[in-house]
Amino acid sequence: MSSKVSRRQFLNYTLMGVGGFMVSAAAMPMIRFAVDPVLATSAGADFVPTDQKADDVTDTPVRVDFTIKDRKDAWYKSDVSNTAWVYKQGDTVVALSPVCKHLGCTVNWGADDTHPDEYYCPCHGGRYEKNGKNIPGTPPTGPLDQYEVEIVDGYVHLGKTMPNQLVK
Amino acid sequence: MNWNAADMNTYLQQKEYIDTAIVPLIKMETAEGRMKASASSADFLMNLSSFIEQQFKGRVMVTPPFSYSPSMDLSVFSSGLASDMADSPFRHIFYLTTDAAWTSITVKGTVLWLPPIPIENMDERLKHSILEDQLKQLLPSLTEAWAK
Repeated sequence: MSSKVSRRQFLNYTLMGVGGFMVSAAAMPMIRFAVDPVLATSAGADFVPTDQKADDVTDTPVRVDFTIKDRKDAWYKSDVSNTAWVYKQGDTVVALSPVCKHLGCTVNWGADDTHPDEYYCPCHGGRYEKNGKNIPGTPPTGPLDQYEVEIVDGYVHLGKTMPNQLVK
Repeated sequence: MNWNAADMNTYLQQKEYIDTAIVPLIKMETAEGRMKASASSADFLMNLSSFIEQQFKGRVMVTPPFSYSPSMDLSVFSSGLASDMADSPFRHIFYLTTDAAWTSITVKGTVLWLPPIPIENMDERLKHSILEDQLKQLLPSLTEAWAK
């Protein structure tokens, strides 16, 4: 008798099995959503390789061109050409964004003959010191942005831009 | 600046700084044998305009490209366009084209003509350096106007 499953027990087991299955079907997505922020991969880790060897960087800023492959802008995929001004401060490699903080023109190192050791914006004569500090009296209102820098196998890799941290 | 709503908002707030309009002019050839070359030069011109826009974002407004087909009368087209542009708030107006017909047309503003370079098969790096060289050719005209 005891080895036999009674009709009542059988119904209990099946109801519990089916009920448990249904509850788990409802609860699983909820748990997944709850832990989702933890599992999300951070987008900040996207570093783009450049052709610039870290050893060749001196304390004079050089232009480094790099291309972000397959950047997605909504449904539109494209390669984006980008530029950075790269120099060495002590042993650390610094990469500055060339985008003028005034209205977004592209600045160049030493482009103005009267101020050879500054970044110069051709649009409205904005000027920046080597560490990106905007020179008072010129149109820009803030320092040049900085790229996240990583050295991989001796080559400079650049990440996202961030506010300038060299200018105090 | 590009001709879109976001940039136009910036323009309206910063009018005193953005005083230059760049107007791309594109000839659309309709004869089958010339369509490839026409498309290629349009590609070049639009790439160049967006490169100029990137370099001088805070000073220039790149307008939508104006296109025309072979039988359209350029003198009528140009005088209409130029007089409308002359009424706009822009102090310096540059017409950017690869069509040599514009070199013999006088308009208010400056016509910047340059020979088309087929850039469609180039890799990104070469394309970039070609566009840079082309911009260097045009740069004196721009800076000269701005220095006035």
